Amino acid sequence: MGYINAIIILAGINIIAALGVAILTGYTGLFSIGHAGFMALGGYFSAILVKEFGVHFVPALLAGGLFAGLTSFIIGYPAFRSRLRGDYFAIATLGFSEAIRLILNNTREIGFIKTGAAFGYMNIPGHTNLWVVIGAVVLAIYFAHMFVTSQYGKNCIAIGQDEVAAQMMGVDLLKTKLLALFISAFYAGVAGGLLGFYFAYLSPSFFTITKSSDLLAAVVFGGIQSLIGPVVTAFILIAVPEVLRALAEWRLIIYGFLFVVVMIYRPQGLFGYVEMNLHFARAWWQRLRRPVAER
Amino acid sequence: MELFIQQLVSGVSIGAIYALLAVGYALVYSVYNFTNWAFDAFMAFGAFMAFVGISSLFMPFWLAMILSILLTILLSVGAESMAYRPLRERKAPRLFMMISAMGVNLAVVNIINLIFGGTFRKFPVESVQPIFVGNVSIGRMDLIAGLISFGVLALLWLFLYRTRWGLGIRASAIDIQTAALMGINNNAVAIIIFVITGVLSAIAGVFYGIKYAVYPMMGIVTIKAMIASIVGGLGSLPAAIVGSMLLGVLETLVSGYISSSYRDLFSFLFLIVILLFFPNGLMGKNVDEKL
Repeated sequence: MGYINAIIILAGINIIAALGVAILTGYTGLFSIGHAGFMALGGYFSAILVKEFGVHFVPALLAGGLFAGLTSFIIGYPAFRSRLRGDYFAIATLGFSEAIRLILNNTREIGFIKTGAAFGYMNIPGHTNLWVVIGAVVLAIYFAHMFVTSQYGKNCIAIGQDEVAAQMMGVDLLKTKLLALFISAFYAGVAGGLLGFYFAYLSPSFFTITKSSDLLAAVVFGGIQSLIGPVVTAFILIAVPEVLRALAEWRLIIYGFLFVVVMIYRPQGLFGYVEMNLHFARAWWQRLRRPVAER
Repeated sequence: MELFIQQLVSGVSIGAIYALLAVGYALVYSVYNFTNWAFDAFMAFGAFMAFVGISSLFMPFWLAMILSILLTILLSVGAESMAYRPLRERKAPRLFMMISAMGVNLAVVNIINLIFGGTFRKFPVESVQPIFVGNVSIGRMDLIAGLISFGVLALLWLFLYRTRWGLGIRASAIDIQTAALMGINNNAVAIIIFVITGVLSAIAGVFYGIKYAVYPMMGIVTIKAMIASIVGGLGSLPAAIVGSMLLGVLETLVSGYISSSYRDLFSFLFLIVILLFFPNGLMGKNVDEKL
């Protein structure tokens, strides 16, 4: 049971981070291969708040997300202002997350806080359990859904479809992109915080480019402009490798081939353009209420 | 002063490697409007093939280099025909090409990792005595890397601007549809471009491997080439070369005088500062996203 628990918790954390990438990449069309960096920022920040300052872990998680979100402006503002092409924005995010990892790797202490450099930040109070994660995932899905169906979310989709057309319709490119990046980094930061409170330990080696490509993989396989897709694939991508431990070395190779195959044969991903909603449940309920003979 | 000049030479030689990579990216980008993310995998592949050639097949260096270039060309053209061409023919969005390239990259890098393991290896060339000019010692490999890289870039320039094929490529870069209507074979252009890409990445991989180490993730250095081309200014080959030299020299100075662990951090901060104050790069024109 503990093992299943662990898989569900890790998958839930992955889902939250993948939702962040889905908002940025799936909806706004901005590629990030650096979300591990935001996870690291949020994780360390909230862990420090709880361990060193005795903050309750829920506000600490939110603060970690907020910190990651605000830090994202460092990269977002210059990149969006200079209208860096999509590919180069991806480079900028990759560079950003590598820079964060390097800083954490070389920082033994910040003031009196021993972050432990490459050895990792130890003895973080363990607050994450199954129910916390499930609650967080539900809230994360709810807010992401609210966001992408709001006017701001529609602006994001417009930018993802065609930037120039969106601008002509009066969408403020800079503000909307920054907002999408902020929310997306916030999600990653919260996921990083949950990860720290689960392992009771954080190390810069958690947040490598592999983590970022995993998140991107969840969005690519799950589908562009969909929330349910990344949620499902983020879960599968954590659960399947756990079950098939023997294939661990092959995982990224298989992802790589799948990227190519998916792009050639099913570029919209598993659930591309499928909005998350409860229509299927309503239909099912109505079917259930009809007399048996009519079913 | 001697130290400074040594750093400068070393910086120019690493800058030359960045320039090879930056030009490779720019070439693919100018024609197909997507970043060939598989480039770093090609680079690692090239370095590993040369490594195998020397250490297992006991080839002399130049032969191993040729082997590596040929195999990398095969990989590059293979990736083109299997992963990119189907998308191109369907006129898929740029985003899909990019994801497909990332897939090639993930697969190739991790196959190398599976076969050779993730350890750092020293490239098997015997260390030769550095050349002394006065009190300044210059690594022979630095010199060779610099000279060959510049030589290759000069050849590429000649090819692009002095041959009919080069003319075809430049025409495709301006408008690939019209070029095709004028009788330029799009697939031939694609093959030539990816052959060039293969050559550039293999050479860059071998020299980078000699300078640092050979390992599967070595291609991550291509970030530097992209940073260099942003710093120089997007959309032009000379700007990419200037940006590469500048980044190579500055970065070597940082690792020489401050600390080598902050070298990569510096390059990234440099990128942010350049973007803040020169949004179009140092030499760039105002390039907007093409429609």
